[in-house]
Amino acid sequence: MNFHSLKALRNLNWALIYSILALGLIGVAVLYSVADSDFALWSLQHSARLGFGMILMFTIALMDVRLLYASAYVLFIVLLIMLIGVEVGGTRSMGAQRWLDLGFLRVQPSEFMRIGLILALARYYQTRHPLDVSKLQNLIMPAIFIITPAVLIFRQPDLGTSIMLVLTGLGVLYLAGVNWRYFAVGGVSIAAAIPFIWQTLLPYQKQRVLVFLNPEQDPLGSGYHIIQSKIGIGSGGLSGKGFGEGTQSRLNFLPEKHTDFIFTIFAEEMGFIGGIALLLLFVLVIFLHFNIIARLRNPFSRLCVGGMGWALFVYVFVNLAMVMGLLPVVGVPLPFISYGGTSLLTFLLGIGVVLCVERQSMTELPRS
Amino acid sequence: MHLTEPDDIDFNRRSLLMLVGQMGLFGGLLWRLQYLQIEQAKIYKNLAEANRVDFRPVAAPRGIISDRNNILLADNDYNLTVDFIPEQADDIEAAIADLSAVLNLSPAHQKDILKRIARAPAFRAVEIDDMLSWDSFARLHLNLPYLAGVAPRVGDLRIYPYGKATAHILGYMGAKTKQDIARYGNTPADHIGKDGIERQYEKALRGRAGARQLEVNARGRTVRQISNNDGTPGNDLRLTIDIRLQEFTRKRLGSRAGSVVVLDVHSGEVLTMVSAPTYDPNQLSHGIDNASWQKMVTHEKKPLLNKSIAGLYAPGSTFKMIVALAALEAEVIKTDEKIHCDGTFHFSDEIFHCWQKEGHGSMTLETALEQSCDTYFYDIAVRTGIDKIEEMAKRFGLGRPTGIDLMGEQGGVVPGRDWKRANYETQWWSGETVIAGIGQGFLLSTPLQLASIMAMIANGGRYITPFIAAPLPVYGTDEVATPEHLRLIRRALYRAVNRPKGTAYHSSLLVRGQRMAGKTGTVQVRRITQEERESAGGVIANADLDWRLRDHALFVGYVPHDKPRYAISVVIEHGGAGASVAAPIARDIMHHLLSLKPAPQPFVATNVEDA
Repeated sequence: MNFHSLKALRNLNWALIYSILALGLIGVAVLYSVADSDFALWSLQHSARLGFGMILMFTIALMDVRLLYASAYVLFIVLLIMLIGVEVGGTRSMGAQRWLDLGFLRVQPSEFMRIGLILALARYYQTRHPLDVSKLQNLIMPAIFIITPAVLIFRQPDLGTSIMLVLTGLGVLYLAGVNWRYFAVGGVSIAAAIPFIWQTLLPYQKQRVLVFLNPEQDPLGSGYHIIQSKIGIGSGGLSGKGFGEGTQSRLNFLPEKHTDFIFTIFAEEMGFIGGIALLLLFVLVIFLHFNIIARLRNPFSRLCVGGMGWALFVYVFVNLAMVMGLLPVVGVPLPFISYGGTSLLTFLLGIGVVLCVERQSMTELPRS
Repeated sequence: MHLTEPDDIDFNRRSLLMLVGQMGLFGGLLWRLQYLQIEQAKIYKNLAEANRVDFRPVAAPRGIISDRNNILLADNDYNLTVDFIPEQADDIEAAIADLSAVLNLSPAHQKDILKRIARAPAFRAVEIDDMLSWDSFARLHLNLPYLAGVAPRVGDLRIYPYGKATAHILGYMGAKTKQDIARYGNTPADHIGKDGIERQYEKALRGRAGARQLEVNARGRTVRQISNNDGTPGNDLRLTIDIRLQEFTRKRLGSRAGSVVVLDVHSGEVLTMVSAPTYDPNQLSHGIDNASWQKMVTHEKKPLLNKSIAGLYAPGSTFKMIVALAALEAEVIKTDEKIHCDGTFHFSDEIFHCWQKEGHGSMTLETALEQSCDTYFYDIAVRTGIDKIEEMAKRFGLGRPTGIDLMGEQGGVVPGRDWKRANYETQWWSGETVIAGIGQGFLLSTPLQLASIMAMIANGGRYITPFIAAPLPVYGTDEVATPEHLRLIRRALYRAVNRPKGTAYHSSLLVRGQRMAGKTGTVQVRRITQEERESAGGVIANADLDWRLRDHALFVGYVPHDKPRYAISVVIEHGGAGASVAAPIARDIMHHLLSLKPAPQPFVATNVEDA
């Protein structure tokens, strides 16, 4: 490593990096506990992915931002092709077609698409005049950017990731300055479209929504997970049962205890105090994103960081609301903590993008 | 940089708004967390205490077994059982003492239980006792709150309404061993098929296990059932057996040792298969004490052995049909050719005796079979040669298992030059061909093979594979012998039973114009010396011999004589003469079969996955 990149490394936002590392290590610890003190079951893999992901993160952080900018569309199109590839020849797992088997690695292009979408939208708005973003003809491309992959992901079928992608895209559009009336119109049309969307939902998806609306309706089936998750969190009380002492979460009533429901065991063992601490750590990470935004000058950089921060928030919020029974169970992981390679990797890549554009905040990007 | 560009202001305002919104939503989450963990903490803590999930596999109901007329042969019943889970009791000895007081267990039994508990892992349930009365079971439930670690449950029990009559066919249920699990996979059922149909069709009968998810409290008591999956019940099996005939046959055999097999000559369906003496599978399924078990294992009449498929006997004179068919095919005799019998047959310095000391006189093939003249068959066996006899015997399926769907079947022995070289490392002696002519010597066959040979002769020479539950693919439709030759044999067998000179004349039967045809066999199990023959008393009578030295009595036959439908083989170990012992038994069984009202229903096999 030459002197230049060493200096670049020193100038990175280390507050953000340490916060992320802390979250990842909390994940390792909780996975160790949920595996009944078996490090090899999930924690080992999670640590390895954390290490590998952070190397990727640093690699992106040290990239020339102009290269990142130039390759945004290409990346988006490659990911789109991969999504179509999943549609055509993906490996079916747990009843859904989400994985693309590249031989050496099984990847979920739908999660990577989040990065691709943010970069593509950011690039698009970089080349639009701020006063033109709300023009109808300038909404066509962003709409295509969002809807095409969302539909492909929805068809896998993966309702959760599809909704997350749309929410991410809408957040970027909002930050880009799209007139709030469009969001109002969009919201009303979605409300009007609900009966039609309902028709296209698969039985398990309908079931999840119905059970969310009334968990007691199916206390032994789908609603059982929500009830059991609430019992786990609630029984933790103020100070929790202690690390490795959780009784509820470790029992097999939650099939996703190490992935989507990981917060349940954390809150059971660490209690309200631990829950607040974790929540504050996420608040810190998100706050750091917006702190960075204030120092950025071009739309691409701003939308990249704002988009990544927004996506992170959406995931954290939806996951926590889900396990606490505030939202239907849609299958969204808790960033950096849930077990799952693609989720961890994509969020670390997102941080890499943030670090990259921050480091080169003074670099001029073409505006047309 | 122009800090006051309109888009800057707008962007800063929007991002700030977004941050505020996010913090607001996080505030909502915090409020929710507070609600669950502080406000409602007590409620959830109580729920958690009562809330442990236990996953228990449950056996699917085992398939029931019925006979061809849908009469139940094997059924399921409950078995009131009590288990003990060591990890749920703080003081195991005290817990067992309390339990013993409720169930009145003997101190010896208690000791045995403690020993078994010490061997098992703490979380594993140990069976304390089963076959409890309702009384004890009720008392147990009443005292349950004071009995730590005790888990009463309703276990499974197999019952056999016809017990002894079906023992060898159905087998019995017993405790699972490592070998059983390795072979058939594990099952939550208490028992596994140990023999016969229960073992052969173990997988089909057991079905797919289900599972019950239970919520249990801190002491392991069930709070409620979360989910229940009963699994897939096992396949029911319908057997080709007609239990009426089976039961009659068992009674007819009484205390004798031996076997009776009745087959449908066209399909190979086994209507009856009795091996005697028998045992009570109900007793075995309930658990049997070691002394009784040892007695059964070492009994000289071998009650546990299914003699019909695993008992090996020289076929004796019942083999003469095979020799005759081989000779006819080799064209070494003509059907009207006469051979003189003076009671002995001289062959290369040796004298072979006919059972009729005075000799039969002039014999044709038909009369030789009718009167079972040994001399005639000595002669044609030598003319035919062992190779052709061996070939014919093998064509009828001798020397290999028939392939019936029961485990443990023996194949028997068809001797020949290669066989002799492989097993004795010597050449074949032509003297051995002579005694092979009357089915003695090295020849060994099972009663099932004898019945199946009889069936093939009766059905016109089509090869059959006997079966008891599922029809198996036949080896081929090739005819095993020329129909014309078989007609001749059948004519002779008719005479053997229905003509005054026939060996089984005293066992002739007539039911609505239907008569029996057949062949007797008396198999020597000891060597009769020349001195014994020439002694004052002559050959010692069976009645004067030790049971184990007496002749085996055999009979094979079929009914009706003109349109054969059922074939039978009767083998009575050390019973004496075939004509006086085996033939009357065959007559009575066939008489019963032809008189059955209603007649046995046609068997349509239910689909069973191959075990």
